[in-house]
Amino acid sequence: MIDYSRVQSAQLAMQNAAYLLALKELLFQLADDDFILAYRGSEWLGLAPHIEEDVAFSSIAQDTMGHAVILYEMLEELGAGKADDLAQLRNPEDFRNAILVERRNGAGEYLENPHYDWAYAIARNYSYGLFKQIRLESLHNSSYLPLAQVSRKMLTELNYHLFHWQVWIRHLAESTEEARRRLEAALEKVWDDIGDLFSLGPLAAHMVNFGLIAGEELLLQRWKEKGKEVFHSIGLEWPGDPRVPQQNGRAGEHTDDLVQALATLSEVYRLDPTAKW
Amino acid sequence: MSNQEQAQQTFSVFEVFSQKHPISGFVHQFSLLAPNHEVALSLARENFLRREPCNNIWVVKREDIHAIPPEERRYLERMDNKSYRETKGYGDLQARWRYHKEQYEKNTASK
Amino acid sequence: MNTKVAESNQDEKRAQFQARIERGEKIEADDWMPDDYRNQLIKLIAMHAVSEIMGALPEKEWVPKAPTLRRKLAIMAKVQDEVGHGQLLLRVVEDLLAPLGKTREDLFEDLFTGRLKFHNVFHMKAPTWADAGVIGWLVDGAAIITQTMSLDSSYAPYARALYRICAEEKFHAQHGESIVLELAEGTPAQRQLLQDAVNRWWPALLMFFGPPDDGTISSNQQLNMQYKIRTQTNEELRQAFFDKYVPRIFHLGLTLPDKTIRYDEAEGKWHYQQPDWEEFKQIVRGNGPRSAQRLQLRKVSYEEAKWVRDALLAKQCVAG
Repeated sequence: MIDYSRVQSAQLAMQNAAYLLALKELLFQLADDDFILAYRGSEWLGLAPHIEEDVAFSSIAQDTMGHAVILYEMLEELGAGKADDLAQLRNPEDFRNAILVERRNGAGEYLENPHYDWAYAIARNYSYGLFKQIRLESLHNSSYLPLAQVSRKMLTELNYHLFHWQVWIRHLAESTEEARRRLEAALEKVWDDIGDLFSLGPLAAHMVNFGLIAGEELLLQRWKEKGKEVFHSIGLEWPGDPRVPQQNGRAGEHTDDLVQALATLSEVYRLDPTAKW
Repeated sequence: MSNQEQAQQTFSVFEVFSQKHPISGFVHQFSLLAPNHEVALSLARENFLRREPCNNIWVVKREDIHAIPPEERRYLERMDNKSYRETKGYGDLQARWRYHKEQYEKNTASK
Repeated sequence: MNTKVAESNQDEKRAQFQARIERGEKIEADDWMPDDYRNQLIKLIAMHAVSEIMGALPEKEWVPKAPTLRRKLAIMAKVQDEVGHGQLLLRVVEDLLAPLGKTREDLFEDLFTGRLKFHNVFHMKAPTWADAGVIGWLVDGAAIITQTMSLDSSYAPYARALYRICAEEKFHAQHGESIVLELAEGTPAQRQLLQDAVNRWWPALLMFFGPPDDGTISSNQQLNMQYKIRTQTNEELRQAFFDKYVPRIFHLGLTLPDKTIRYDEAEGKWHYQQPDWEEFKQIVRGNGPRSAQRLQLRKVSYEEAKWVRDALLAKQCVAG
């Protein structure tokens, strides 16, 4: 009899169809969130407001994409398909990332007139980072032990990212009026999308029952507690309860921004997915 | 423009030092531009230590570093007459210990 | 002090400085240096710095598009390094500019107005993934050759930056080789992508080292040699590039768009078809195929971020 509170390997997870389904669904949420946000980060490369920051931001994007790779490889191990295919050949409706991470960096394209919004980059990365910290902490107790294990390692890197974004958010909040106004506007924009970050999608109940992750309400509550504390400490007004975007990314509903992102990031691979690149 | 206003126009230079392991010393890496120590610290590792292990980092505002002026640096040169401070000044010891050991062994054998 | 005395003092200082250079001593930022030494360094290092910054852009076009997860990470790291090299070199040149009251902002202004030029190769199009590979392999290969030569520069801060840069360039060249080998060993379509990219980049690679010297040495070159800032000629560097890369290009079964290129054993040098040096002048003046578009990218992002720099300046040392 398999103990589903402590699943030690992919082989064991694959012996229970319901468990496997819930686990894969969760892994897609985790992997797609990191992958798409890292992609948005990679578009910023060479365009950040300060040369030294450009370099630091790129490391964060690389770390984040590195986390996605580990998660796609876990999915590969669970029989979901090749990691490179999972990242680049699925249709937009098969992606489980939250709407927040797929939004464009601002007007324009990375190749042409990138009128990117640094305040939005800070607000989004910080809010997501805080969420990811709480999610990773919850995953420390996941019934899928390979995930619990890797969540600890990821948390170390994530905490460094969060430190970085926290320095930025505080600096913007405490500097010029313009910076503060831009930051507040960006936070409003982020808040419009925060809702589905906490959604675990249609299989939420299974994920929780199988002990894969804590429930949506609990994650949201912890996020609000931590966020309010930080906002208070830097004199930022708490923008209120997070709002839910029109689409629910966890259910495969997405904006055109994701369609554009996927077309770009798979452009070369799709020339010939059977070739070696 | 007053000095203070000028200082507002541009970032400060911070020198970055890093320590590889808990028992190693701090080594100078390079310098970066930042508005203050906190930002400098948040940028330091990724700018200069992307491939090396790192246990700790210092950032020091360049104007807080006091160096020996160029014209006085040559006074740092020393004469080459201080072998008494170095192990190479004591190169005969091993041979002498060997001599004593051999003497001792010879004496005991002849007894 | 009358002017004659001042002049002779100045002459003496210059002579002492030159003697230091000839003894192989290294110069630091706070050392006294003649104006033409400082200006020569500023010209060279500022160009090098903005070339790294602008050089990130052609490959960056392929960063989000790289074909596998591993390649996406690797090219991100590679382009990040280029920006990082820009940072190192900017710091070196900023310290040289400081006594003249100039800052990083001035360098960017000079870049945008066209007063400060960047390397010809970064004005070119990079229309396919194979271009990203060829840039990593051959453009970085060319850069390693010129930078390695400058490791011995008399200006110590520049040499220190170059040591860091060269260590990373080795990874860059391998990154490029890895992409190129994958394409060369791949499908006919992949090989074609690679061959097209090599054809496209060949003239720009020849131009990278600058025009040949025609037996006469420019005043610029003379000054660099006198001050031991840079000691080899353009042609010597280009020949070193051929030595290393032409055989490898042929080993992959690729061809070069120059049918005349050959190595003359007796002379010990390569004969090749000169690129269009008039076109070279046009390109570095900012009239290359992608000059305007890439400068525009840099400029837009710079202007968009003005409020950020202002915000940080307002926090200058408040938290310190």
